[in-house]
Amino acid sequence: MEYIDLPIEELHQALVNRKTSPFELTKVALARAHASKENAFEIIDDEEALAYAASLVDPEEDNLLWGIPFLAKDNFSTKDLPTTASSNILASYRPVFDAAVIERLKAKKMVLIGKTTLDELAMGGTGTTGHLGITYNPYDPTHQRMVGGSSCGSAAAVASGIVPFALGSDTGDSVRKPASFAGLVGFKPTWGRISRYGLFPFAPSLDHVAYFTRDVKMAASVLEALGGRDDRDSTSSLRSVEPYCELLNKNTGVKRIAVIKEIQETIKDNDVLLHFSKAVEALRKEGYIVEEVSYPLELLQSLFPTYIVISCAEATSNDANLDGIKFGPFKGGNTYEEVMKRARSEGFSELIKRRFVIGSFALMRENQEDLFLRAQRNRAKIVSELNKIYQSYDFIMTPAAPSIAPRFEDSSDRLSNEYLIADSHLCLGNFAGLPSITLPLFLKDNLPVGINFMGRAFEEANLLALSSQFERLSGLAELSTVTRKEGYL
Amino acid sequence: MKEISIEVLKDAANRLLFDLSEEEYQTLYEEFMTLKEQMKKIGEIKGLENYEPMTFPFPCETTYLREDVPMEPLSQEDALKNAGSVMMGQIKLPKVVG
Repeated sequence: MEYIDLPIEELHQALVNRKTSPFELTKVALARAHASKENAFEIIDDEEALAYAASLVDPEEDNLLWGIPFLAKDNFSTKDLPTTASSNILASYRPVFDAAVIERLKAKKMVLIGKTTLDELAMGGTGTTGHLGITYNPYDPTHQRMVGGSSCGSAAAVASGIVPFALGSDTGDSVRKPASFAGLVGFKPTWGRISRYGLFPFAPSLDHVAYFTRDVKMAASVLEALGGRDDRDSTSSLRSVEPYCELLNKNTGVKRIAVIKEIQETIKDNDVLLHFSKAVEALRKEGYIVEEVSYPLELLQSLFPTYIVISCAEATSNDANLDGIKFGPFKGGNTYEEVMKRARSEGFSELIKRRFVIGSFALMRENQEDLFLRAQRNRAKIVSELNKIYQSYDFIMTPAAPSIAPRFEDSSDRLSNEYLIADSHLCLGNFAGLPSITLPLFLKDNLPVGINFMGRAFEEANLLALSSQFERLSGLAELSTVTRKEGYL
Repeated sequence: MKEISIEVLKDAANRLLFDLSEEEYQTLYEEFMTLKEQMKKIGEIKGLENYEPMTFPFPCETTYLREDVPMEPLSQEDALKNAGSVMMGQIKLPKVVG
């Protein structure tokens, strides 16, 4: 155990009392990053990180994030530092600006130590499709199990104890699902709460800035830093940012939790169901009212195809600028079409090309009504039915994944005709833009499984207060492969 | 909706300015068959036609014009920094007009 493994408040006190320093923490983080075997990094920026950390000598008592090392998923623009989105189409790209969230974290004097791997262009859920190959789950040293994606490198790095916080992005469940497989807090605030300026887009109507931490206090503190209007992202909200840390222990009086019966019925793993019911009992003892509700099964079955059509259609349009001309590898050619075709044929992997064709086909005039617009209408119905639950309840609680992290051989990125409700329900939070958080629930065969809570739009304070209470009940705050814990539930 | 065939998919990929192998087109074709079935079922959901297509989770809050504030644009150096083919301070491409 090192200082970097401590809960954020204790770590901060150690910095304030000069028992450790940003330089020492950064050295430990970099050493662990270089020693890790999970293929979690696109780049480790030793020189810049150490130089910046060494310049931080006067602790800021009221800034919980001061001097803490962190990582960013490689789809956030970082000035003069390569930003590849784990795709060969961006292999040589060095942005000339920082993403808004990078700016804000630097303003808090956090130390960026590198960039993490992802499924190519964030369009995947397995952590296997990035241009550097598979990212592994640190809880499985035999490297047979996934950590999930698309924010695979960030999840693996926080779970390995390299840093206490890493940025990710979440379009379907790309932070909250890996958080389940890696025993972490994975938090996606409300759509519009955090600026996406400088986040390489996948599907803007679904994309969220999200992140991994090891405790809820850190998640609250990061939201205070990242939340708020940014004029460079016109979809960012004008609502004021609340003092989330201060509100963590406040009795909110918000106590009604819904459990969706149809989702529970698709969970086949009895251990997941058993520990979920223990969580329900523990919350009831704390005064929460937890009740089962019904949600239309046909809409749950429609989640994945609806998601695929909308996200692929948006992606194919967004990524039209990846042409190897303004940035990305220039491959030459006799016409401008040939220049673009060479760059795009060589730059995108097969999976990405298939997704783009699906999106493009869905957008063709003769197909729009049957594909794209139908998916958008269905999204409206899905959200409308979800909002009916929120008329009587404050939160929806679900298992974050149907099982422990699956083996690579049992997963696929190909579309399937099975209804994978238990695997895809977290995208409800993206369709509706609602704040949603995954927390560790229990461990099975030394592999973690998470629970997910989803709250009302812009009510992050209530969601974080519930999460903080749940973290005390589960006993799994600060879980990592360094700290190893059993949990109470 | 347009009938899906390998030729139609090749045309779509061509319009997107990339190519796939024959085997990859076959995988894509099979995926399309699955998706088509699933989307057909969604079309059967009762009352779907009464919903407006949802484009964003919430109504846009930015309903005003921003102030006209002078600012420095991207410098030529920065604009060209990532381009692979540059000549005389501009991006160079093959001739477009004959």
